[in-house]
Amino acid sequence: MLDTFEILTTSGVVLWSRSYAQVSPSIINNFITDVFIEEKGGAIAGAKNNQSAAQNPPYKADQHTLKWTFVKELGIIFVAVYRSLLHLSWVDKLVDNLKTIFVDLYGDQLKKPNTTLVHCHKFDGYFDQQLRELESTTATKGAPAPAFALETDETISGNLGDEPPFPPGLKHRSAKTQDGAHDLPSTVESTPIATPTSSRPSTPGDAEGFCPYVIGRRVFRQEKKAPKKGRKWDADGFADEEDDVQLDYSAAPNSITSDSEVEGRSTVIDSVDSSTWGTKTSKGQFVLRDLDDEVHDILASAQSKSSTTTKSGLVGSGLSTINSLFRNVVGGKTLTKEDLAKPMDGMKEHLIKKNVAPEAAVRLRDSVEKELLGVKTGSFESIDTRIKKAMEVCLTKMLTPTSSLDLLRDIELVTRPSGFSSQKARPYVMSIVGVNGVGKSTNLSKICYFLLQNKMRVLVVAGDTFRSGAVEQLKVHVRNLKELTEREGGQVEIFEKGYGGDAATVARDAVRSATSEGYDVVLIDTAGRRHNDQRLMSNLEKFAKLANPDKILMVGEALVGNDSVAQARNFNASFGQGRTLDGFIISKCDTVGDMVGTLVSIVHATNVPVLFVGVGQHYSDIRNFSVRWAVEKLLNSS
Amino acid sequence: MPTPMEQLIEYIEYILTPSTPVFVVGALIVVLVPIIVHIFVTQSTPYTSLPSVVLVGPPGAGKTALLTLLERGDAAISTHTSQVPQSIELTVSVDQHLSFREAVKDDAPGEHKKFLLVDTPGHGKLRNFAMDSLVAREGLKGIVFMLDAATLDENLAATANYLYEVLLALQKRVSSVKTSKTPSAINVLIAANKSDLFTALPATLVKSNLEAELGRIRKSRSKGLLASGVGIDDVDNGENDDWLGEYGSEKFTFGQMQEFNLEVDIVGGSVTEGKVDKWWHWVSERL
Repeated sequence: MLDTFEILTTSGVVLWSRSYAQVSPSIINNFITDVFIEEKGGAIAGAKNNQSAAQNPPYKADQHTLKWTFVKELGIIFVAVYRSLLHLSWVDKLVDNLKTIFVDLYGDQLKKPNTTLVHCHKFDGYFDQQLRELESTTATKGAPAPAFALETDETISGNLGDEPPFPPGLKHRSAKTQDGAHDLPSTVESTPIATPTSSRPSTPGDAEGFCPYVIGRRVFRQEKKAPKKGRKWDADGFADEEDDVQLDYSAAPNSITSDSEVEGRSTVIDSVDSSTWGTKTSKGQFVLRDLDDEVHDILASAQSKSSTTTKSGLVGSGLSTINSLFRNVVGGKTLTKEDLAKPMDGMKEHLIKKNVAPEAAVRLRDSVEKELLGVKTGSFESIDTRIKKAMEVCLTKMLTPTSSLDLLRDIELVTRPSGFSSQKARPYVMSIVGVNGVGKSTNLSKICYFLLQNKMRVLVVAGDTFRSGAVEQLKVHVRNLKELTEREGGQVEIFEKGYGGDAATVARDAVRSATSEGYDVVLIDTAGRRHNDQRLMSNLEKFAKLANPDKILMVGEALVGNDSVAQARNFNASFGQGRTLDGFIISKCDTVGDMVGTLVSIVHATNVPVLFVGVGQHYSDIRNFSVRWAVEKLLNSS
Repeated sequence: MPTPMEQLIEYIEYILTPSTPVFVVGALIVVLVPIIVHIFVTQSTPYTSLPSVVLVGPPGAGKTALLTLLERGDAAISTHTSQVPQSIELTVSVDQHLSFREAVKDDAPGEHKKFLLVDTPGHGKLRNFAMDSLVAREGLKGIVFMLDAATLDENLAATANYLYEVLLALQKRVSSVKTSKTPSAINVLIAANKSDLFTALPATLVKSNLEAELGRIRKSRSKGLLASGVGIDDVDNGENDDWLGEYGSEKFTFGQMQEFNLEVDIVGGSVTEGKVDKWWHWVSERL
């Protein structure tokens, strides 16, 4: 059973919702954050416009599964939440159908500016109808594919031959009056009786009214909503006929006896229908039936709309070309895929020239395209400027971290916890990982210098027990740093256990001794390792467990090209379950000029923010990462 | 039977021969084309000059909920994380002290003034819009910074960080102006939402906590690294660029912002209980 169905706007307002079981709002909030804002889980898992719910990957949050679809131009999201244990195959269909209906009914209201009001309380009825219809199909047939209104339509029209396409309900009724008696037995026979065994066989009265009617209605409704029929017609049944009603309507002779009645009945219905749509006689029923037909109309028209391509004459296309040229200059042009294709590819090339990995460039291109499809350009705005603007927004969104990072403040919280919190003061542990030769030790020293200037006690741990000279190199750094910061009041020591030991145990011992000696920060250097060497990478998991660093930073070179994506991915995944990188340091940014694409590649690959960039050879040449700076450099086309 | 070619030639000859209909049509084109272009262009750019109030704050504070409450007038509806900004048009009475419930009605007494209330997404990745609108938005009359007073203890650092950014942007807006004409004052209301919850802090405590945290952030930022892209030359002239409030002062108080024409008020309230009249009045006074 469905837990919740919600229709919400991208601005966060819930337009319509139906809840069957308590679902924490945080589930949908997390869903929005992960899928739409942070675009986690793969390249363009993000919202593809107007895609069917079946193609959108379901979002799973503890015990719940979310199926969703998204209409971009109106900015509305449709979400269905249900328990993961239940395999509800019809939810996709429900989400899609409701999307079509909702957009058809309330699309105009949604386009109004400066308001969040949408009057859609009537949508309850449509929702109930769809839910019933789809649920019952699966309940009676047990089949995975829910019958769609259109399919039944086709069978009918095939049956009756040359009928103009009426709305489903109407068509059927008119057919009945024309050649009622002759047709009926055959149709009855041809229909496999999908009698609602699953629906309640409640009162005998129910069944009474059910029988004669069913013969008429069966053809159209058989597949869709068996359980409803019983309830629907019982009032009528009571009113008109009490006697000689056979439950066994599969037999031909019986149906002949009731044929006349049926014929009479159907004409009665017709007169009722034509005069009043849902008034006086059995009001509730007719209203319901209208709704069904209306829903099917909407779905059918949407279907046909999507299948027929708009063809315009020579004159029309000529006019539209002139119009689009005119719009191109003046602005106010509605962008289509064709308009965008060429400039977008140009933008992609531009990004690749800036050393962005093709994978990331393609993702950016796609998300910009997604953003721009159907958008109107502003006055006197060319497509290129519009694309540039959108790319700027996209890049900014991608590179901006979810929560801003203030390293000093973080350290302060750990080393000097406030009186309220129960945590004990302990040193703040940072470790640095990366591929060989990217500048791990150098960047560690730079961070160390920065911390020392803030009067902290730092312990540098020589975790590289492998490469010759690694320990000595760190010793030299520490000696230099000591001399440099003597005046400022920082204090730095080195912790080393020589070569050949296990780096993880060295790190653990270092953290222990730092805790007992009251250091503020522990900086752990590690050996460089090739990211696709399984043996070396597996050590990292143990390292993360034993040293348990507050921050694991990875150093990436700005010089590296396409490999950056794989590097970042492999390192990010190497710390075991539930532990990822906390940030990147991009070194050697001074050597690449404008080509800072590596930044984008690694953030694309991992969703982990860049914290620092190395911009020179000296201890002081480390900078906080500024998104604006990076975006400017990336879009700079000189 | 003339061939199409001959027809065309005939037609062109007709157009090029001076005659009354040709003059009339030509004159019409000359007059109408600029008008049509004008209409065309103005249509696509709606003319907005309504004063506006921007809602900012960390996610989950209740910005969108407040928006819906003020628009509907009866109760807030359920909301989720926003991804795009949303503005609504509200009317406020100029001469009478009305509650928001009365103001939302069509037949509210007194003189009215329209304004836009702009909701911005609070998610860290989407704060650009809010920050841009603080600097560039025309007719900005006030900023409502919403926060969740019930969970402020846990989220103090994140909330204060955002507030710091907002205040700093406003401060720079004032201090960066070189001309003698100071930009119009933009006031900030810190709306401590969710006072209906048991754990919610009262406004005074919210204020002191925020001031303390802002002071700490200010201090640690001043010691922090430079941002990439800031050249060495820029460092000397902009000494106190990133320092919020009175430069060099030991403690931060919101009162220090008055130097920059910024008035900061802190008022508690609750969207779920509909106790937002104090905020409403603050907004109406600023318009």
